Amino acid sequence: MSAASVTGPSARLKWIAGVLVAVYALITLMPLLWIMATGFKTSSDAIAYPPKVLFEPSLEGYVNLFTTQTRQVSGEVSAPGTWYERIVHDKGMMITGPSRYGERFLNSVIIGFGSTFLSVVLGTLAAYAFSRYRVPLKDDLMFFILSTRMMPPIAVAIPIFLMFRSLGLSDTHAGMILLYTAVNLSLAVWLLKGFIDEIPREYEEAALIDGYTRFQAFRKVVLPQAATGIASTAIFCLIFAWNEYAFAVLLTSGTAQTAPPFIPTIIGVGGRDWPAVAAGATIFLLPVMVFTILLRKHLLRGITFGAVRK
Amino acid sequence: MRRFFHGLIRLRRGPWEMVASVLIAVGVIMLMQPFALWAYSWSFIVTLTGTVMFLITSHFPE
Amino acid sequence: MPGTAMDRAASATPPGIARRVRGLSDRAIAWLFVAPTIFLLLAINIFPLIWTIRLSFTNYRANRPNADVEWVGLRNYERILSDPEIWQTMQATAHFLFWTLFFQVLIGFALAWLINAKFRGSNFWTTVIVLPMMLSPAVVGNFWTFLYQPQIGLFNYVVAFVSGADPTGFSMIGDVPLAPWAIVIVDTWMWTPFVMLICLAGLRSIPDSIYEAAECDRASKWRQFWTITVPMVLPFLMLAVLFRGIENFKMFDLVVQLTGGGPGSTTELTSINLKREAFEKWRTGYASAYAVILFVTVFGLASIYVKALNKVKER
Repeated sequence: MSAASVTGPSARLKWIAGVLVAVYALITLMPLLWIMATGFKTSSDAIAYPPKVLFEPSLEGYVNLFTTQTRQVSGEVSAPGTWYERIVHDKGMMITGPSRYGERFLNSVIIGFGSTFLSVVLGTLAAYAFSRYRVPLKDDLMFFILSTRMMPPIAVAIPIFLMFRSLGLSDTHAGMILLYTAVNLSLAVWLLKGFIDEIPREYEEAALIDGYTRFQAFRKVVLPQAATGIASTAIFCLIFAWNEYAFAVLLTSGTAQTAPPFIPTIIGVGGRDWPAVAAGATIFLLPVMVFTILLRKHLLRGITFGAVRK
Repeated sequence: MRRFFHGLIRLRRGPWEMVASVLIAVGVIMLMQPFALWAYSWSFIVTLTGTVMFLITSHFPE
Repeated sequence: MPGTAMDRAASATPPGIARRVRGLSDRAIAWLFVAPTIFLLLAINIFPLIWTIRLSFTNYRANRPNADVEWVGLRNYERILSDPEIWQTMQATAHFLFWTLFFQVLIGFALAWLINAKFRGSNFWTTVIVLPMMLSPAVVGNFWTFLYQPQIGLFNYVVAFVSGADPTGFSMIGDVPLAPWAIVIVDTWMWTPFVMLICLAGLRSIPDSIYEAAECDRASKWRQFWTITVPMVLPFLMLAVLFRGIENFKMFDLVVQLTGGGPGSTTELTSINLKREAFEKWRTGYASAYAVILFVTVFGLASIYVKALNKVKER
């Protein structure tokens, strides 16, 4: 027996492992691919039996997603001008205006980025203090911060609903940003504390001796060193706010509604318009997929609150 | 086993946290088991006792 | 040069004092940095929590803000804890919890073990597997209802193709015996990668030298697996199970979009039931007591979780 084979698996075993994992990955990917494919089907292709794997791509779903339509009235059929008007026209429909999807998507962007910015700023400050100073009751505070994250959203939503109602914050961007910031703060503090703990104290000590104040040392030494950590924390916060559904569905209904509670309510004329739903889901899910691929090195750390590093 | 009881008497953190964790676990199981309604009814008190105990005993010395 | 004398003086003073001279004291900075976080959490988490506890002793209804609020003592708790219907939703939650954890640990560990063989392209496949976990459960759950459609749904088609059953003969989310499994399947699809990632971290934390030593002792592969691999991964697995357990105990978004609690109340998990009491029947006081029961349970589990977390951190 050679030395290499003592611990490592043999080449054949590796090959079998690779095939098994690849098969699982492909199965797991199927629903996601199906969402993307359905977005490019016509409504009759989407509900065909047997399910169509090969089909002629169509942008009908995307057009339906972004527009509201009514049936053509024979008297007032105007000649279709643009390509999307033609798609709608061929089905015997006409466009009456834009749909709400754009607004909802924009709300998701505003609330997502707003709350991410706030929680990363507050989280960095708190994490720095927890990492470098002797804060009284540090362990209890850290546990308290984490436990706020664990609470069931529906249970928290009851008093928050009442509070927002009396403060006039229900269904506003400000209210949702504040709420998501509070929920994300715990993750931000825990993750960032881990990242800042890893920066050697000696760098700051040296800066202090060079005549920097504590603030300057924090800004010019710690922040640049923690930049990668801050960026990945920000992406985690953003993904959470982006995906959140329970608070959004209970506390928003119109102006500040985000995309997750909106997408399931998309219906077409006569039954659910699955291509439009799939198109909406595709546009909504793609950014997260891209971020996940960017994050893969920090993924483990993010999902375990920084407990597991590698 | 002897160290466990010794720790309990001398109010050490480890064994007391263990007792509290077990209480919480028992409470959660009582809450969700499908066998006896009385166990469901008393589950909350058991979990609450365990949780409060955990909060207090986690401040005992190691 | 201005300030040279001061610089000289500063560099001569011990760093502790120098720091205090140059700006705010350490303690002031620490408080300044921590205060906004604590304040926000107090305002948005603790204050509402105290409010919930107070409401749980009343018969307040949020849809009638002007009605008289009566103090009912522990009656809300008594009613919830003796209500067989709520007990039923707890059992539905237990079924969901048990089987999702069972499958996720089984598949997650197996995958991690395979990936740990470090074959070519393992990083690529890991990233692919992880994708479902990061997506919005509500949006994805909603789309799964399409996959679950009898006849036209991809899931039904594939199952029928493999098993030879009639694709129109069953409906995963419409049939009472199948619905609890429909939510287990989607949750397992979504969250197995989570367990897998943590197990993988556990497997990678085992130093090769331990296996080499076991090999010298002529321990069989099977024995090595049970005496080295499993015990070393166990703390990590514990962490994953506790975390998924807490998350699935409060599961809402995925299941509400998939089945909405139906058919009947077969998949009405605790959070869905609570939402119904609080935001459809508007029994706010009653629902608050319900919420407090869930709070305490999750808080208890969370404290065990943090203990497990610290244990893993020490490794």
